[in-house]
Amino acid sequence: MSIMEYNGGCVLAMMGKDCVGIATDLRFGVQGMTVAYNYEKVFDVGPQLYIGLPGLATDTETVLQRLKLRVNLYELKEGRKLQPAVLTSMVANMLYERRFGPYFVEPVIAGWDSKKNKPYLSTMDLIGCITETDEFALAGTCSEQMYGMSEALWQPDLNADELFESISQAMMNAFDRDAVSGMGAIVHIIEKDKVTTRKIKTRMD
Amino acid sequence: MAVVETYAGYGPIQAQRFSPYADNGGSIVAIAGEDFAVIGSDTRLTVGYAINTREQNKLFRLSDKTVLGSCGCWCDVLTLTRVLNARMMMYNHEHQKVMGTQAVAQLLSTMLYYKRFFPYYVSNILAGLDENGKGAVYHYDPVGHYERNYYYAGGASSALLQPFLDNQVGLKNMENVTKEIISLEKAVAVVKDAFISAAEREIHTGDAIMINIIDKNGIREEKFALRKD
Amino acid sequence: MAHFGMDPFSAGPLWHNGPAPCGIYNFPGRPTEAAGGFIERSKQPITTGTSVMAFKFDNGVEKGVAIAADTLGSYGSLARFRDCRRLFKVNNQIILGAGGDYADFQYVQSMIDQKNIDDECLDDGFSMKPKAIYTWLTNVMYNRRSKMDPFWNNFVVAGIQDGEPYLGSVDKLGTAYEDNIIGTGLGMQLGVPLIREAFEKKPLMSRSEAQQLLVHTMEVLFYRDARSFPKYQIGIVTADGVTISDPLYLDNQKWGFALYVSLSLKPEIMCF
Repeated sequence: MSIMEYNGGCVLAMMGKDCVGIATDLRFGVQGMTVAYNYEKVFDVGPQLYIGLPGLATDTETVLQRLKLRVNLYELKEGRKLQPAVLTSMVANMLYERRFGPYFVEPVIAGWDSKKNKPYLSTMDLIGCITETDEFALAGTCSEQMYGMSEALWQPDLNADELFESISQAMMNAFDRDAVSGMGAIVHIIEKDKVTTRKIKTRMD
Repeated sequence: MAVVETYAGYGPIQAQRFSPYADNGGSIVAIAGEDFAVIGSDTRLTVGYAINTREQNKLFRLSDKTVLGSCGCWCDVLTLTRVLNARMMMYNHEHQKVMGTQAVAQLLSTMLYYKRFFPYYVSNILAGLDENGKGAVYHYDPVGHYERNYYYAGGASSALLQPFLDNQVGLKNMENVTKEIISLEKAVAVVKDAFISAAEREIHTGDAIMINIIDKNGIREEKFALRKD
Repeated sequence: MAHFGMDPFSAGPLWHNGPAPCGIYNFPGRPTEAAGGFIERSKQPITTGTSVMAFKFDNGVEKGVAIAADTLGSYGSLARFRDCRRLFKVNNQIILGAGGDYADFQYVQSMIDQKNIDDECLDDGFSMKPKAIYTWLTNVMYNRRSKMDPFWNNFVVAGIQDGEPYLGSVDKLGTAYEDNIIGTGLGMQLGVPLIREAFEKKPLMSRSEAQQLLVHTMEVLFYRDARSFPKYQIGIVTADGVTISDPLYLDNQKWGFALYVSLSLKPEIMCF
């Protein structure tokens, strides 16, 4: 089994019209054994700015802590909050520093770009190769299932409610076909001046 | 697996280990309705990153009521289907009747298990009408475990297709919907949508889909173009 | 994705933690077979031929199949035998082209010769059709692979079946398919796109146009396939019968794209 599948878990994000959503499952496990079902892999790291870090849980937490350090230093030094694109570069840079002994996480970043006044979505691999997209981004153990669902359910210019429905359905049906993801989900819908966070109950097996 | 190893001895020849299996890609989707069954497969045949042909039908008509979709290791598919056809013909001559879908389903399982320790590397989905004229879909693993259900996806893109079928055909994770058996029009549309999505992301799936619609009037065939890259 | 982290040219594992496909399951606690007690069956190709290219043509007046293969028998990277003809006339309506191990090809040739003699002995005026040889070859190849002792070949069957062009391919596993354009080995990567592009521009091709296209394809293959040779044969099957050319030579080679060749023609700019 790959180290990326040791704890299980997945993150899915989609772009809508003047909104972007990011969702995480809630399972934390050690291979086949489920240990907890309240383990979020999407974190709030700024104003209307979220990062999902699915992969090896120990690295999820290490990367998050080291990232928070850099974010705080940035804010102190620059005297302003970071934009999503800045966060993306920061994370990619951090991951590439460990090019030959990487952190086993595949980040997904969603947020509101207050400079361009539009939603932002990006993802990268575990050594920081960035992909910016205005469609959808995903990572985790059920990526194949999520690709199948997202290709079918995503379309351009979804409004916030439709976006929530698409993300939730794509995520739920994908992780129901994955033994090491699931156990409920949390969806954040980011709009210009608000973030709506909802918890979804799903089958618990 | 065609692994090229360094040849330890003298001479110019590189030793290649022989693998009797290849993965030739391909995907299959089947949906059963009240009095019909729909089965579709893509028409791309691949080896690694190369496309052998864009026009390989992977659906095999076994009778007027039964169609087998088969993909995986193409040489095993050819052999399996040829032997299966022969066995069905023998049954026909012995019993003076065409094998029913359920009988074919059991036969296929037995044939697969017969090769338990040198398996056919094949993903099979059998679709047809059962003895009551109701739609039936059977799904197999390579060594003969099988199960009947209303819908199944198999092959290279099964992981991309199956959750979509769960959602759209099985109505999983849906609230406030009436759980009714799928209509023919919806079934055909779902098969097409599923393959369009899979072809976006799975390189071993694409080119076109062949769809067979099985009902009391016989089998209808439909072809639908997919992306060719 | 299914192919990630694996050799893309071979099948993935059937399942985890079980016996390997075609392997024998060793029950725990029982002694396994002593080393050295096995039969050596798997082998590798020795003297090999490279690509075979073939396609159907039909312009309403002339229709048939064109097929080509060069005449090199490679011994690893050594260009050892320079007149290994790889197009075999099976009968008046079939050409068999072969790549891969040349000895295996000759063995299959002798089997087909014997089949022809058997057919002749029946004296019923019938001979094999392309589809028959294709199906027979598929079975032969599959049976040998199932014994883990394959014929290490790629075969291309070109012929006329009931007045219509026929083209099929069979590899060492028994993987068989029919198509309008077939290339084996590097010919699948380099040759098929050229032919497909030519057909998109001109779908209705005459016999001579088909021959020209094949010459061009063999030329490009010679430039980039390190196991190829400028001597090759072209075979054409039409309803009138089979013709296989004597070995032709690529005499209009254009090496302008090769830096050192073009430089050597202009010695004054050699000293950079």
